[in-house]
Amino acid sequence: MSEGEKPAGMVPEARLRDSGKPAADESRGEPASSARGEPSREGLGTLPGFPSEMDRRALLRIGVTAAMATGAVALGLGLREREGQGKKKTLPKLKDHRVAKVAGANEFAIARGPDAAANVRRAVEAVGGMGRFVQRGERVVIKPNIGWNRLPEQAANTNPDVVAEVVRLVAAAGAGKVWVTDVSVNTAEQCFARSGIERAAKAAGATMVRPDATAFREIDVSGKLLHTGDVLFPFVEADRVINVPIVKQHGLSGATMSLKNWYGVLGGQRVKLHQNIHLSIVELALMVKPTLTILDATRILLANGPTGGSLADVKQMDTIAVSTDEVALDAFGAGLLGLNPSDLGFIVEGEKAGLGTPQWQSLKTVELGG
Amino acid sequence: MRTIIFAILALIPPVLVGSLVWHGRKAPPVEHAPAAARPPGQEADAALRALFEPAPAGATIKEKVALYDEKGLFDYIDGAAPIFIDRHFRKLAAAEMATPEGSDLVCDVYDMTTPENAQSIFDKEKSSQAKPLEGWPEAISGPMSLVFHHARYYAKLTAFDAKAESMLPAVARALKEKMK
Repeated sequence: MSEGEKPAGMVPEARLRDSGKPAADESRGEPASSARGEPSREGLGTLPGFPSEMDRRALLRIGVTAAMATGAVALGLGLREREGQGKKKTLPKLKDHRVAKVAGANEFAIARGPDAAANVRRAVEAVGGMGRFVQRGERVVIKPNIGWNRLPEQAANTNPDVVAEVVRLVAAAGAGKVWVTDVSVNTAEQCFARSGIERAAKAAGATMVRPDATAFREIDVSGKLLHTGDVLFPFVEADRVINVPIVKQHGLSGATMSLKNWYGVLGGQRVKLHQNIHLSIVELALMVKPTLTILDATRILLANGPTGGSLADVKQMDTIAVSTDEVALDAFGAGLLGLNPSDLGFIVEGEKAGLGTPQWQSLKTVELGG
Repeated sequence: MRTIIFAILALIPPVLVGSLVWHGRKAPPVEHAPAAARPPGQEADAALRALFEPAPAGATIKEKVALYDEKGLFDYIDGAAPIFIDRHFRKLAAAEMATPEGSDLVCDVYDMTTPENAQSIFDKEKSSQAKPLEGWPEAISGPMSLVFHHARYYAKLTAFDAKAESMLPAVARALKEKMK
């Protein structure tokens, strides 16, 4: 008998038997539905492959249970998310690393001469010596520019002799720990080695911190552009922060010196920061509040910054300037680059934000010749 | 047991459909674009990589050639990126190479989309102190550096010692030969 000739209501197992194959239930040793004595019915329950009334009840129970379970999970997730929105994660802010002003002390020192390390020593001594800024046992992080896969002669990074001398002065002041770190733009391993800073700083007694994934801590920035940020851990843990930037022309901001050097404490976000560069520079400077800044103008990069590369763009200046006023130092550095400080947005905005004065000559200044 | 399996199987289609509707997603297309219909950017990327295959002038590539697009350019050259982007920069291929003597040099080739854009960035970056290479006015050499433009490319070569510096003209000429 062909399938089309079967009478309506014929039970599935009969059909399967007709085809010479066992019914599915039978194959597992269970009787098929009609064999269990259930009445044969018209409708879906009687069609091949559809469950009986009992099966439908079971199916309904499963469906309702599944719907309730799904609803419960969705409700739970919804409540959890709502709770999460209500609770704001508490993040630490960076400490204020500044020290109190000393009445009568020099506020700005410039040292010129062929020996970069000697220039550092003389300029720091002129503003009161490292002992004024670092106390015995304090943990200190030194922040040079180690952003680039470049040699010291190419003047894209801070001079390694300058960094090493700062490490020695900090250690001599009795620091309990001295870190040297930066978030390099190029591959950190290459930058730390090629710049000569890693070797020089280690030899002077510092611990180098490379910007690998485990080196960052999330902090509260509370800025207009940045609400939170991931910073290198020494900036969270240190008692004192010493900024040691180099003087360079910069394609976007005009120049990079003290204030711009804080880009190097953050992980990622470079594209975002560059979209409003002057404001972001000021926000980061407000976030860090360093103890002291030592501006390296041993060699300066006059063009094609911040990357550089050609020695034709480098000028030997043999100059170090030291102050607690980053705006004043940047105004001084702008002059070395042949720029007018009032043309640099971050200097103008930095002054407005109370970070310092571009009138560096108005500070109590000492200039030391070679 | 059969009922449970049936119920689970029966729930899968509505859950899938519901999920797709809920998230406003469409089913992914089954067909893949044929090679001939690849976006022109992929062809240009291949051409950029091909400049370093094999490495020019007997040098060796120390690490894989890295490509940077407009967004990634900030991660490589930071604040220098906008002057390239303003000139319709498309992509950068950066390669760290070693000379046969073991000296290091870095070779950055920027695809500037058109020869005019390539010349524009060359004019912007060339140092007044640097000198043109003999017989090749589109290439200038400063100590430790050589930059040139050819076709839609602008190339910037940086050496890290005197031996690598002496290799820069040969590397530049070998790259130029491959630039179409």
